[in-house]
Amino acid sequence: MKQELIRFPFQVIFKPFSSFWDLKYDNKGSMKASYLLIAFTIIAFILQKQYAGFLVNYTDPRAINSIMDIITVVIPFVLWVVANWSITTLMDGEGKFTEIVKVTAYSLTPIVIVYIPMTFISRYMAQEETAFYYLMLSIASLWFMWLLFVGIMTIHQYTVMKTIVTMVLTIIVMGIIVFLGALVLSMLQQIYDFIYNIYRELLFRT
Amino acid sequence: MRIKAMVSAIVMASVLFTTAWIDVVHASTPYEAYNYNYWEEAVASPAAFVPSRTVGGSDLGIEPFLEPNDMVIAPSGNIYVADTGNKRIVVIRPDWSLDRIIDSVEGIGAFGTVSGLYVDEDETLYIADSGLGKLIVLNKDGSVKLIIDNPQSDIIAAGFKFTPTKVAVDDAKRMYVVASGVFEGIMQFDTDGEFLGYIGTNEVKRDYYEIIWRLFSTKEQRSQMVLFIPTEFSNLDIDHKGFVYATNIDLNSPTPIKRLNPSGEDVLKRFGYFHVKGDIRFRSSVGPSIFIDIKYLGDGIYSALDSNQGRIFTYDAEGNLLFIYGMHANQNGTFKTPVAVEYDGVNQLVLDRAKANIHVFKPTMFGELVLEASRLHYNGYSEEAVPVWQQVLDLNSNYDIAYIGIGRSLVMSKRNEEAIFYFKQGMERDQYSVAYKRYRREEMKEQFGTIMTTIVIAAVMIIGLMIWRKVRSKRQGRTATYSAGRDQAL
Repeated sequence: MKQELIRFPFQVIFKPFSSFWDLKYDNKGSMKASYLLIAFTIIAFILQKQYAGFLVNYTDPRAINSIMDIITVVIPFVLWVVANWSITTLMDGEGKFTEIVKVTAYSLTPIVIVYIPMTFISRYMAQEETAFYYLMLSIASLWFMWLLFVGIMTIHQYTVMKTIVTMVLTIIVMGIIVFLGALVLSMLQQIYDFIYNIYRELLFRT
Repeated sequence: MRIKAMVSAIVMASVLFTTAWIDVVHASTPYEAYNYNYWEEAVASPAAFVPSRTVGGSDLGIEPFLEPNDMVIAPSGNIYVADTGNKRIVVIRPDWSLDRIIDSVEGIGAFGTVSGLYVDEDETLYIADSGLGKLIVLNKDGSVKLIIDNPQSDIIAAGFKFTPTKVAVDDAKRMYVVASGVFEGIMQFDTDGEFLGYIGTNEVKRDYYEIIWRLFSTKEQRSQMVLFIPTEFSNLDIDHKGFVYATNIDLNSPTPIKRLNPSGEDVLKRFGYFHVKGDIRFRSSVGPSIFIDIKYLGDGIYSALDSNQGRIFTYDAEGNLLFIYGMHANQNGTFKTPVAVEYDGVNQLVLDRAKANIHVFKPTMFGELVLEASRLHYNGYSEEAVPVWQQVLDLNSNYDIAYIGIGRSLVMSKRNEEAIFYFKQGMERDQYSVAYKRYRREEMKEQFGTIMTTIVIAAVMIIGLMIWRKVRSKRQGRTATYSAGRDQAL
């Protein structure tokens, strides 16, 4: 566990190509560690909202809701993984579902290792220094995207162009999934209403 | 058992009495006073002004007012009411007795439609008569000093019809006139009635949706559309420095209130949390505030009258919203068609056209304290303002401006740690940063010895640990090779 959770993420963020290769072919990295990384990401966001310094924290304290933070991380994550798997299966990707999960989760490492310390450093910042805070957060996000790109490219054995195209398609498919989900939900709602109305009608008639 | 009954009786009685008392207090304003917090939510606030009386024409022993359009208080305290429907100007003494009625001017005769008034220190009366199309200036004794009816200038179009609606005069006796049909800005005249020019043109707002729509429409359609023209000013007032406070009826503009310097630039300070534009939140069916009058209360404070919802918004010199009161209704102290707001140094007066009377609002303790503290702060007495702000906070602990005011004074007296707390309470980030930086520097200076000692000790410990580990690993390596050799030998 120590190996997978501490050494391997650091290996991933600094040497993404070889590490993701190891992830695919040497069976490095584990699902357990992936779940933990997602949990850490959620914790990083919650901590940021609650404890970031006054000068950078524009969150209304009454609006802080950890359940919402969990949802805003987990749902896009699941959508991304499912959409990417669906697309790459059709586009001759070699990656397995678990590999996509692992790659995406390990790519979140920079967010965890930048957000949590920056949250606490931001408490000791003056107005002029907050630029540094925002810079670090942007670097973390860009780093995350870079890792995700390399990871997807490696596990599916794609070219650069094909990776970019699949990633864009993945985002579109995420939208389609959300749309279909909403459609199904509203239809279920209507079916429920219909049955409930019949039930009520029967109650009144008898 | 009996003790229990007695206790419950006392509790009941106290609850009853306190609720009764709260009811009495609550009933004193027909409107609900509120203010906006940092999160742009309307939160309840103590009322700053409460209705004290209403005065109509019959209270003065004269014919009731008929559609009065403007009201102004002279520096002497006399109240001048433009009783437009009755074609007269009613002058009321500060003790609410009738002073005189002006219903005609020698050489002109009766008034047309008196729509704007202004009085300066010499009790010279400036009358903007939009019906006659004249600006009439009367001396204190009622004799005509000046009449402007046809301003001449190269920049005025040939067939221009002068229709003054509002007027204000600065210390140098320059006249500032809002005229209808003039989109170039406020007309400025010198003492002799010579036209000096326009100041403060309202900028034309670009509507990109409209521009795109125009691209795809025919010439006939385009001619049917509304023109892009700047909005007119609705009213104006002059502050003690000779700057013009002007309001315009530009819906959805972030700057309906302007403070124009002599060269016509808008120099209003807008350092508050949000735009100086009245209501921040409103239903789309109700719409934004429409300012039709503005009154400078002195020391940078000004009140603007919103005709849309019948509210008076008072701002301080830095653009902080101090308080809001008033509403449209039929009770005493509420408005039907408010047209003018005035300030006599203590009370605020609002003229209502439809109700044809003057509403007098007296300040509450809260209102007085807020105004006093703002005045002290404006004049640089930040330290003296602190106890007043403290009292304000006792009455309304949500009053952010009070926290910021106290914080500023604390920063000046170098009590940075306390200042940080107050700025945080007031959600004032810039000032917080200043105070925090100072506090941090002080702390660093004070703790320098401790910090350096810790760093040195930590460095020594880390180096020691490294050396120790190296030594140990070397020793272990030696034993490992030794044991390996032994294994081989065996």
